[in-house]
Amino acid sequence: MTLENAPAARIALAEAAAAAAVPPAPPVAPSRPVRFTGEAGAFWRLLLRGALLLAVTLGIYRFWLATDVRRFLWSHTEIAGESLEYNGTAAELLIGFLIAIAILVPINLIFFVLTLSMGGAGGLISMLGFPLLFVLGQFAVYRARRYRLTRTVLRGVRFHQTGSAIRYAFCATFWWVLVVLTLGLVYPFMQASLERYKMRNTFYGDLGGRFDGSGWRLFARGVFLWLLVMVPLLVGIFGVLGSLDFEAIGEAMGGNQRAMTRFMMASSTQAAIAFGTFGVGSSILLAILLFPVFQAIVLRWWLDGIRSGALTVRSHLLKRRIYGAYLRFLGLALLLIVATIVIGFVGLAIFGASPDGTGTEIAGTLASVALYVVVMLGFSTIYQATMRLALWRHGAESLEIEGLAVLEQVTATGRAGSAVGEGLADALNVGGI
Amino acid sequence: MATGTGVYFDGRTSARREVAVEAAPDALRISAPDGTLLAEWPYPELIAQSAPADVLRLGRKRDAVLARLEVPDAALAATIDEYAHGIDRSGVTERRARNKIIAWTFAATVSLVFIAVVLLPAIVERLAPLIPLSVEHRMGVAVDAQVRAMLDTEKSSRPFECGLEGREIAGRAALDGLIGKLETAAALPIPIKAAVVRRKESNAIALPGGSVYVFEGLIDAAKTPDELAGVIAHEIGHVAHRDGTRSILQAAGLSFLFGMLLGDFTGGGVVVIAARKIVESSYARDVESAADRYGVDLMSKTGGDGRALGTILERIAGSIEPGMTILRDHPGTKARVELINSISPPRRGPPLLDSSEWAALKWICS
Repeated sequence: MTLENAPAARIALAEAAAAAAVPPAPPVAPSRPVRFTGEAGAFWRLLLRGALLLAVTLGIYRFWLATDVRRFLWSHTEIAGESLEYNGTAAELLIGFLIAIAILVPINLIFFVLTLSMGGAGGLISMLGFPLLFVLGQFAVYRARRYRLTRTVLRGVRFHQTGSAIRYAFCATFWWVLVVLTLGLVYPFMQASLERYKMRNTFYGDLGGRFDGSGWRLFARGVFLWLLVMVPLLVGIFGVLGSLDFEAIGEAMGGNQRAMTRFMMASSTQAAIAFGTFGVGSSILLAILLFPVFQAIVLRWWLDGIRSGALTVRSHLLKRRIYGAYLRFLGLALLLIVATIVIGFVGLAIFGASPDGTGTEIAGTLASVALYVVVMLGFSTIYQATMRLALWRHGAESLEIEGLAVLEQVTATGRAGSAVGEGLADALNVGGI
Repeated sequence: MATGTGVYFDGRTSARREVAVEAAPDALRISAPDGTLLAEWPYPELIAQSAPADVLRLGRKRDAVLARLEVPDAALAATIDEYAHGIDRSGVTERRARNKIIAWTFAATVSLVFIAVVLLPAIVERLAPLIPLSVEHRMGVAVDAQVRAMLDTEKSSRPFECGLEGREIAGRAALDGLIGKLETAAALPIPIKAAVVRRKESNAIALPGGSVYVFEGLIDAAKTPDELAGVIAHEIGHVAHRDGTRSILQAAGLSFLFGMLLGDFTGGGVVVIAARKIVESSYARDVESAADRYGVDLMSKTGGDGRALGTILERIAGSIEPGMTILRDHPGTKARVELINSISPPRRGPPLLDSSEWAALKWICS
C-alpha cells in the first residue's frame, strides 16, 4: 500500500469493513516495496557526535551509539509503507557486555595462570585458547543475530530466531578452517551453508524463512575477483622462489657484513625483491580497489536468495552505486590521512623543541595516543557514513519482492532473546557492536 | 479533546487497521472506522517507540504483545504529547537522560584511568612480594624462553651465549667468580643465573626468577671489573626487589583493565601499550634508583667501588632497561650518577677480579 494511495484506500477499507465481517482483501503491493528515507546528513551528524563521545569515554559510549545507529537505519526503512522498528536499548547491550566479561575474565585468567605456572606446557595450553575463543566468537555471532532479530518489530510483530548457537559455532569454525586452507576459494559455499541454516531458523512471527542462494552461483560471480587478487600474489611468490639463489642465502647468513651486502646486490636477489614487491603490491592494490565490488556481489547474492513461504526476493543492486560510495570513502579517508600527517609533523616539531623530562614524555605519549584514537575513530566513522549507509540504502531500495501479501497474515510468536551474544561478540572483537 | 486517524496493529497478527484515534483527557481511545472500540490506552502506560520523525508510534508498557498505534497527524500527536507525561516529542527528557549517561560514563572513564595509574600499581606493589618463589621461578622459565627468542636475532653459527667454547671458557670462569662474590654478599633466597649473550648494546637485563642477561656490548664498554660488577649488582637489585614480577603483573593488570573494557573500539592494544608506558615511566625512576642504591650497597659489601656504576652509566649515557637505549643525554642519568656518588663509600679492598681474570673476561665473547 503506497502512501499516495492511502486516503483512497482508507475510505475503501472503511466501507468494506462496515459492510461485511470478512477481512478486506490485502491490497496489491507494487514490486519495489522497500524505501529508505534516511538522510546522509543526519546520519553523519549522528556518527560524528558519537565518535566524539566515544573518544571522551574511551569507548564506553559504544552501546548508545550502536543503538542510535540501529534505530536510525531501522526506522527509516519502510516495507510496503510500514517502517521497521528497533526496540532494543543500550542498557540491554551494556548488561550483555558485562555478563560476557564475567564469562571471559575467568577463562582468560585461567589461561594466563596456566601459561605462567607451567612454562612450556602452559604455552601449549594457551595455544588451545585461540581456537576456543574463535568457536566462542561464532557462538556469539549467532546469538547476537538473534538479539537483533528479536528487537526488530514490523507491524507489531517481532522477528525471532530458533536453532542451536553451539551447532552453528562448530559448523562455522569448520567452514572457516576450510576457507583458510583453500585461500578463500570455498568462501561462497561457506556462506551458502551458513545462510541456509540461519534463514531456516529465522521467523517473522510464525512465518518461517528459507535461503535459496547457491554457493556455485556466488562462486561463479566472484571467482574473477579471487583470481585478480591471487594471481599477482602467486606470480610474486613463484618469482621470488624461482629467482632466489638459496645456496647464496646460506653463505650470506653464516658470513659477515660484506657477504650479506654482496648477496643483497646480486641480480638474483634484486629480481626476487622485484617479484616480491610487484606480487604483494599489486595484490594489495587490487584487493583495495575490488573490495566494494566484492561486498556488492555478496550482498546482492544474499538478498536474491531470501525466501519466505510464497514470498520471493530479487535484488537489482547496482555495483556502481556501491562503488560511488566507496570512492567517497577513499577520498575522505585520504583527507584524514593528510590531515593526520600534517598534525603529526607539527606535533613532532613541538615535541622536539620542548625540554626533556618525564612530563614531556608522558605528554608526548598521550598526544600520540590521542592522534591514533582520532584517526581510528575517523576511519570507522567515515566508513559507516559512506559504505555502511550505502550498502543498507541501496540494498534495501534494490529489492523486488513478490508475494508480499503473506506479510499481512502473520501471527505473532517468539520471545525476546538476551543480549549476552552481543556482549560476547563485542568483547571478543568479532564485530558485535 | 482531539481526534484524528491512525494505523493500529494489535500485536497478535500483522494485520493493518485504519482506525480513528481520540485523545480524550483520561485515555487514548482507538476505534475501528465503524465505531467499535478496539482499545483504550491510559496515558501513563504510553511509550513512544522508535519511528521516522514524522510519525508518532505508540506502544504500551508491560504489554504482553507488541501492539502499536501510529499517528501521522502532527496536531493529534502534539495533543497526545501534552496529555501523556511519559512522552516527549521535543526530545528534552531524552536529551537530559542521555546527558546524565554521558556524564556517568565520562566519570567511569576517569575512574578507570585513576585505577590504572594509581590503584593498580599500588595493588601490584602489595601483591608482588606475596608471590611464592617457586611460582616466580616458573614464571622466569617461561619468560626466559621468550626473551631468548626475542634477543637472539643474529643466528650466526656461534652459540648465542658466550663463554661456552674454546678460550671463552676462561672468561666464563672469571664471570662466575665475580658473580659468586656478589651472590655471597647479597645472600638472596634464589640463585642468580647469569649469561653473557652476543648483542651489541651496552645493556644488562634481569628476569623474574633470577636470570640475568649481560650483553656483549656492556663487557666491551666496561673499563674496570668494578664497573661491570656495579651493573650486575644493579641487576641483582632488580631481582631482589622482584621488579620483573611486578612489571609482569602490572602489564597483565592493565591488559585486563583496558583490553577487555574497550571492546573493539580501537582494538585496545595501542591504548594498553600507551597506558603501560605512562605508568611505567612514572615508576621507572623510583625502581631504578632503588636498584641503584642496592647495587652501591652490594658493591661496598664486597669491597668494591660503588662509584664505578655511575662512571659506566655516564659512559653509556643510556637507561638500563630492557631494550631501551636512548642515545642522547638522558637527564635521568645525571640524577642517578649524583645519587650514586653521594651514597658510595670509598673503596676498601682488593679489586673483584685480578688483571688476568679481567683480561679473560674481556674475551668471553672472543
